[in-house]
Amino acid sequence: MKKKESILGMAFFGPALVLLILFLFLPMVLTLVFSFTDYFALNPDMTHFVGLENYINIFKDELFVKSFFNTVKFVIIIVPCQCIGALVLALAINKVTHCKKYFKVAFFIPVVMSLAVVSTLWMDIYSPEGILNTMLAHLGISAQPFIHSAKQALPSIAVMSVWQGVGYQMIIFLGGLQNINPALYEAAEMDHASGWQKFKDITLPELKPLCVFVFITVTIGAFRMLVQPMVMTGGGPDHSTYTLVYDIYETGTMNWEMGLASTMAIVFTVFVVVLTIIQNVLTKGKEEKKHVNKKAKNI
Amino acid sequence: MKKTKLILLAGLAMAVSMTGCQKKEVKPGDVAGYDEGEQYLSIWVHSIEDTPEGQVYRESVDRFNEKYNGKYFADIEFIPRNDSGGGYSDKVNSSVLSGGLPDVLTLDGPNVAAYAENGIIQPLADLTEEERGEYLESILEQGTYDDKLYALGVMESSVGLYYNKDILEEAGIEVPDADHPWTRTEFMDILAKLKPIMDEKKGYPIDMTFPVGEASIYYYAPFIWANGGNLVSDDGMTVDGYFNSEKNVEVMNYFHQIVENKYMSEAPVEKLFESGRAAFKFDGAWEVNTIYENYPDVNLGVAPYVVGDDWDGERYTPTGSWAFAASSATDNIEGATELVKWMSGVESGVRIWNEAKSLPSTYKAFDQIDIFQTDENYKALYEQLSKYGHPRPKTPVYPQVSTSFQQALESVGLGGKDAQTELDKSVERINAKLERYTRE
Repeated sequence: MKKKESILGMAFFGPALVLLILFLFLPMVLTLVFSFTDYFALNPDMTHFVGLENYINIFKDELFVKSFFNTVKFVIIIVPCQCIGALVLALAINKVTHCKKYFKVAFFIPVVMSLAVVSTLWMDIYSPEGILNTMLAHLGISAQPFIHSAKQALPSIAVMSVWQGVGYQMIIFLGGLQNINPALYEAAEMDHASGWQKFKDITLPELKPLCVFVFITVTIGAFRMLVQPMVMTGGGPDHSTYTLVYDIYETGTMNWEMGLASTMAIVFTVFVVVLTIIQNVLTKGKEEKKHVNKKAKNI
Repeated sequence: MKKTKLILLAGLAMAVSMTGCQKKEVKPGDVAGYDEGEQYLSIWVHSIEDTPEGQVYRESVDRFNEKYNGKYFADIEFIPRNDSGGGYSDKVNSSVLSGGLPDVLTLDGPNVAAYAENGIIQPLADLTEEERGEYLESILEQGTYDDKLYALGVMESSVGLYYNKDILEEAGIEVPDADHPWTRTEFMDILAKLKPIMDEKKGYPIDMTFPVGEASIYYYAPFIWANGGNLVSDDGMTVDGYFNSEKNVEVMNYFHQIVENKYMSEAPVEKLFESGRAAFKFDGAWEVNTIYENYPDVNLGVAPYVVGDDWDGERYTPTGSWAFAASSATDNIEGATELVKWMSGVESGVRIWNEAKSLPSTYKAFDQIDIFQTDENYKALYEQLSKYGHPRPKTPVYPQVSTSFQQALESVGLGGKDAQTELDKSVERINAKLERYTRE
């Protein structure tokens, strides 16, 4: 019986496994191998092993370092804005009694739209004579360069990205909110708990697992920032919006330096993985402690 | 080293056998029109079949097969290239590794050096003097690397310094002819003169930007050449002393001056020139058609590109486009050369103008298209191209040169950073890429 089951299991799993190995695991291994070579796309015959040379060189490369910090800046702006924004929107929509569906759809639409389309749209919004500047002019604020200035470009793109992505996390939170047992709130109301207390002691703890999920996915998403700067600024002005993934792409496909690009990809992956593990450990650690506390109380 | 290659090949062989992009043995009868006794020639182009440009290639290949019926059969494959340059080039790159390059392929003009240096393309079979003479100087120049002709394009391109006739008339400015262009100093004075007039119109004397991508080097490197400067050495292997020369520092500072004096907008403003709020604009030849079709109110003229103060009639204006070349994989160089010649020839050139409004690359094609004789603006662009066209730098590290140029232009022009320091930094970066070619 067990044998039969496992054969059947393999029959289902096999095709997927073959594809995964071919298009996911193999490329991953190849990337790791390439990262120690000077593999040049136009002349693969000349490939040599260069040891750690690439790893040393990329950290000496001003542009790579800059793109690294730009990416970090994106993450620092986007992660809190998008996580908190999504939660606030979800709470608001949860309270709305009329046209609930309309708001849900309205906030979710940008998620469905292609990033390239959204980016082009926001280029118009941010343009020197665009909607946003026209609105600012009515408020008596002088025209802002937005994506055309090295100082404002990064935050401008970050804001646009939050706007684009926030609907997705909002839906996740909304699902979570609707899953909270209403009895908890009823009980709290009997105890004359204030709105803030209810939020702090019921809503947040109940949403905790979702928060962790949203936090991690938004972080990874922010690290992968590519399309928005590519379409809107080309990484400029003065490389202020040049991100890690953009650098990897340009190095690999435009400059044909596959070896170097692979090294960047490995460094990038290691960084993101380490960060995710840290996030995981931190959030999990707290949860377990709470569990223990609860148990202790019960006893 | 061998091991890397083995792993590389093993991985790709698997992927390749799955996707089937290995060079197929095509037998007569496999493809409609390929008959016994004909030599099979495969050709890759970078466009989408349903676009006007794709249709022109299809049509040209069909005509080739008619003309050479019984001798050659060309089989065209369309591999779209996306805006950022991927798609087509990915396919070429992977075929370099796995084999399966076609007999003839298209490539962007500035990439001829890199493709030749890395043995992806081979020199064409010899052309007769007469055949060579048909092509514009600039197209031959673009396709030549290391004194050998590798590529011929059906398309040429040019950038015009467009002006609004009404505004210049209002300011009392005379436009010189192509052989006596404005010098940089003269042009700066003109911009200064236009400044108050344009301020009144809530505009700028000139509509220009330093965009990321290929446009910056394409539009503004002529200022370097017309100033007696250069970006790379003649053999394309040295940049120190060229890219960062004093001459080039002058040009970079000139652009900064334009920005500083607010003769151009720091942030691009949509349709500045088209709406009559700029006196000048740099743009591709396509702009003439755009203005004629969509902005009939703009009274358009083409002024000669601005030159350095000591210019002495050298070639300097923008040129270049995608071209056809014979891949190193072909063992039929005679046939491949015939196909390249045909695809870039007069008939194809007239067609590319008629259907896709791209400038052709042969004198005869220009002669056969009325508008280059009758319309003063098109005539001016053609004259500038045929007399003064200069290809972009020929070096295997062209992509790095192009991005470095744009970066320097942006940080000096817009950012006001020190030109010499920025150019020196670029040289360092380009040198790092050149190492691959110079270390042997």
